[in-house]
Amino acid sequence: MNTRRMITGNGAAAWGARLSRAEIIPNFPITPQTGIIEEIASWIASGEMDADFLPMESEHSVMSALAAASSAGVRVFSATSSQGLMLMTEMMFVTSGLRLPVILVNVSRGLSAPITLWSDHNDALVQRDSGWLQIFCSNNQEVLDSVVMGYRIAENSEVLLPMMINLDGFTLSATREPVEIPDQDEIDDFLPAYDPEHTILDPKEPMSVGGVVFDEYMYFRSQQRMAMCNSNGVIKDVCAEWEKMTGRRYGLVEPYLPEDAERALVICGSESAILRYTVDKLRKDGEKVGMLRLRAMRPFPCEEIIDALSDVEEIGVIDQDISPGSGGIIATEVKACLGRSVTSFIAGLGGRRIGVEKYEQMFKRLGRDVEEWIF
Amino acid sequence: MDILKNMALKKLTDIPMEDFLVGGHVACQGCSASLGLRLALKVLGKDTIVINGSGCMTLLPVYPTTPLRVPWIHLAIENTGAAGTALYYALRRKNIKANILGYAGDGATYDIGIQSLSGAAEKNIDMIYICYNNQSFGNTGHQRASSTPRASYTSTTPSGKVEAAKDMPIIMAAHRIPYIATACPSYPIDFLNKVKKAAEVKGMAFIDLLTPCPVGWGFDPAEGINIGRLAVRTGMWKLYEIENGRVNVTYVPKKRKRVSEYLRAQARFSHLSDEDIGAMQAEVDEEWDELEERGYGYELGI
Repeated sequence: MNTRRMITGNGAAAWGARLSRAEIIPNFPITPQTGIIEEIASWIASGEMDADFLPMESEHSVMSALAAASSAGVRVFSATSSQGLMLMTEMMFVTSGLRLPVILVNVSRGLSAPITLWSDHNDALVQRDSGWLQIFCSNNQEVLDSVVMGYRIAENSEVLLPMMINLDGFTLSATREPVEIPDQDEIDDFLPAYDPEHTILDPKEPMSVGGVVFDEYMYFRSQQRMAMCNSNGVIKDVCAEWEKMTGRRYGLVEPYLPEDAERALVICGSESAILRYTVDKLRKDGEKVGMLRLRAMRPFPCEEIIDALSDVEEIGVIDQDISPGSGGIIATEVKACLGRSVTSFIAGLGGRRIGVEKYEQMFKRLGRDVEEWIF
Repeated sequence: MDILKNMALKKLTDIPMEDFLVGGHVACQGCSASLGLRLALKVLGKDTIVINGSGCMTLLPVYPTTPLRVPWIHLAIENTGAAGTALYYALRRKNIKANILGYAGDGATYDIGIQSLSGAAEKNIDMIYICYNNQSFGNTGHQRASSTPRASYTSTTPSGKVEAAKDMPIIMAAHRIPYIATACPSYPIDFLNKVKKAAEVKGMAFIDLLTPCPVGWGFDPAEGINIGRLAVRTGMWKLYEIENGRVNVTYVPKKRKRVSEYLRAQARFSHLSDEDIGAMQAEVDEEWDELEERGYGYELGI
């Protein structure tokens, strides 16, 4: 029997790992992620979860441990935030290069300096070129669902790439929402035990992993790119299967775009909830507005964005991130994908409140090819 | 002191013939780090998984070939301890019985990897960690490391290193792991008995293996074994074990050679004056006098 509980985003991430029967959990505490590993630690201690909890000496070691255990054919899970994710950077590329289906939850938090504890997306987006699949969640249910679906996608032999699942610090990580927790039997049917085709660290089948290549380097990189392309279809298939089982629908993007929409804002993460409310409010006043939430950042859902926005006249992109000297990271990518100008809004850095009034203001200020900071 | 009495291997012909690191790899002529790995694998056998930290030995498998007949993984330079920790638990879950051998250079061990190594040691992970110690960042062209001995030339200490090398075995001893040793492939029986012990103890074992490097140290590749012997016979590299907080010297040179014989044989010390060498001789003499007084064994008190 499925149960419905009031749990935090961190709790939902932990439930995702538990239901997926992740077996090795290397970890290192960092705000606002720590609740995830604490929850898992308590389940392992009480015997509710059968896994090894490995407190490591740094996030670099966490990602190294994830890679090593995954290389031996074990399903692994961990979570981090912000500075921790930065320290993992070197190993992020190693993990994707070795084609290991690691699942990492990032509870997003702005980067130092100066120190902020609150959420923005710069931490996750720094890793967008690391060869990881990236999913941004908008609520706690989606966090749990994305973790379980994540293993199915990452472990697919056409993909074999690690996946980062992003949830916004505090907004989701510390906020309780009703979350349906699927039955373990149901998940066991959906997600069979990890049985890698290429168990690579076993004396019965010795092989050398992670060595030097010369001219072949570019070949390996193209394989990685191919896997990322393949993941597009695999994500859709897995989401369709999940919908059949749970009734909850996910994809690469989530359009909230009535057919008559003339103006739209593109966003990702939990802020989409307030933007959606704003869209409803403005539509009641007769304004033809809409919203497109990007759920997948990698693979970048270019086709889906074109499909969704081709009839929309004025487009704005909200970035809770900034690449100084270039601009909003997502705006840059959306522009490249659409081949037309968009208004780029930089907002909500370090968790700065956006809110209905500011979204209304953004809708008013569309139609200019500029970068505007909304403080 | 009859150190051979309790040894499992007594003579060279006791060393297993089978190799798990075979010919055809691209390590330099006269490389004793690859010799160290070859010897260690002879004793550890086929049920061994090697974790390598980036360094010279990372160049052994070059796609699509490999000279290794046991599983081998390289992730990065600073995480051999962390990888060993995870692999230990992963193998336990998969019910695979195998030795875990960390094989990483001194730069990867004393310097950039010390945090990860310390983490594995604190957890007393059942793995064998051999630091192949060429006393520099060898693979990048012999740069200074915290393992580089005082006075040695490196490409980043052109006038010779000012500071003494870090005492890594003592740092490992402070983690209270069950077995620590120093060794040198020039003394294969001594080394391999230590590897054997390392494999047998429950928990983490650390071996600091001096591996003379012809390219970095500046000597004829044919002389590698001799240079290692000189390091030991002059008393500049001591062979010992630390078990349960007790240090035991495993080889006492009968008549110590003058350190000049070792130093003058290498380009990295060629800038030293006779006076400098005299001072180093005095230092070594003092250390050995103290060791003799203590009967070549003593409690560390940590």
